[in-house]
Amino acid sequence: MSRRVSGLQREVLQLYRQCIRAAHTKPKDNQPRFLKYIRSEFGQYKDLPRKEFSTIEHLLRVGHKRLEMYSAPELKDIH
Amino acid sequence: MSGVLRRCAFRLAGTRSLATTATDITPRLKTFKIYRWNPDKPAEKPRLQEYQVNLNDCGPMVLDALLKIKNEQDATLTFRRSCREGICGSCAMNIGGRNTLACLCKIEPDISKQTKIYPLPHMYIVKDLVPDLTNFYKQYKSIQPYLQRSKVPEDGKENLQSIADRKKLDGLYECILCACCSTSCPSYWWNQEEYLGPAVLMQAYRWLIDSRDEASKIRKEMLQNSMSLYRCHTIMNCTRTCPKGLNPGKAIAEIKKALATD
Amino acid sequence: MFKASFHSSVLKSSSTIRLTTGLRGISLKPDFNKLKLIPPPPGGVNGTVNDKLKTPNPDFFHGSYHWDYERITAISLIPLTMIPLYAALSNGTMYPMVDASLCSVLLIHAQLGFTSCIIDYIPKRKFGVWHTLAMSTLYLGSALGLYGVYELETSNNGLVDLISKLWKDDESNVYVFGGR
Repeated sequence: MSRRVSGLQREVLQLYRQCIRAAHTKPKDNQPRFLKYIRSEFGQYKDLPRKEFSTIEHLLRVGHKRLEMYSAPELKDIH
Repeated sequence: MSGVLRRCAFRLAGTRSLATTATDITPRLKTFKIYRWNPDKPAEKPRLQEYQVNLNDCGPMVLDALLKIKNEQDATLTFRRSCREGICGSCAMNIGGRNTLACLCKIEPDISKQTKIYPLPHMYIVKDLVPDLTNFYKQYKSIQPYLQRSKVPEDGKENLQSIADRKKLDGLYECILCACCSTSCPSYWWNQEEYLGPAVLMQAYRWLIDSRDEASKIRKEMLQNSMSLYRCHTIMNCTRTCPKGLNPGKAIAEIKKALATD
Repeated sequence: MFKASFHSSVLKSSSTIRLTTGLRGISLKPDFNKLKLIPPPPGGVNGTVNDKLKTPNPDFFHGSYHWDYERITAISLIPLTMIPLYAALSNGTMYPMVDASLCSVLLIHAQLGFTSCIIDYIPKRKFGVWHTLAMSTLYLGSALGLYGVYELETSNNGLVDLISKLWKDDESNVYVFGGR
């Protein structure tokens, strides 16, 4: 990692990694759908300026909550 | 004397009936400025939006005005409400700089003044007037708000309590956990993650003095640290703001007294 | 069981990330990461939504004892300040023991009050080392103050005399009032 990332950026990356890992705990056939969903959710705010700290913090909060909800083992598939 | 009084009363009644007939024609438009923030567009900054409500065909409480706005003007306005009579604690918000329940707060009849409505202060916002109370409920859970006994009563029915013991719970059990007091406390603003806040501490006291409860030693020990209880500096905002007229400040002082001789 | 294994894997992975980006063995370069403020957890919530808040370990010295000492010193300061006032007004004598206890109780009272302020505004949760720094500065200051009290009581005439000098002493040779 040659690029220096700020603390907030690192948190976003960590959240992304956690999401991907959670997706890989799901049944094999449904994993692509989870991954697509994660990518679309993160991609939605791709163009957000990195100085928008409060917005990014809010999105992180929402993301963590949603990760917690979706990583429950009872949840097998999404559409 | 009485004649004068009667004449005065008559004149008052006369002017009042005149006034009502007059206002039937001219609408009494009151301006509400309401905090708006949409999580679907997080890059937009929060703003105050103005709404005008005709007080002539609106109920007396702020919640009535909010519902009227939501029904007739802007369906996207979001707030929590349920019982509309001050028993559920859902509609807690900051109205005119004071934390109250919207259903118990009368609309100020002076239409030249605006009423500003914000969500509960210093909380994370979910949308518009809806605060995130997750941490508040987690704190409530941490004080073990349930009866703890080593054995059940012999007849297997209920744990009896004397009338005097029951009286101790008056003014404590009525709390509806609307979080008005906790979010009005400056100490809670600064140390929300660790300080329990007046509402939860009052419930802690409620279980501490319950004559049927046998876990008071553990309950007291849970508060023996610098953060949970002793961040209360007797600011008394909690008592001043409580929409149910309870006194969390006194309850906290009683806990401190109980712990002091521990 | 699934959930537990998932959580442990996440924990493990985050710790490995921290290891690779953080310290590596012995290094002379100071670790400035310690000086940074600790950001709050997302939404101010630790753990899952349904967990209860973690209660800290019982610590009587930061709990009720601290509060007790605060009240005891506050109440005992009342007579300790009344006695010198009375002595000054009635031209009575001022006992050095009363003066010494006034000084030390005042110092302890200030120390306890400042401790509360630091816990309020520089909480360890957020400020980490800065909290420790503030606390140790406070203890150092209190120790210095205690030495000052010792000096005042042994080689000088005590606090009350020092304050009364402000009104009674000859000011002609003091530079500020001398108007030179």
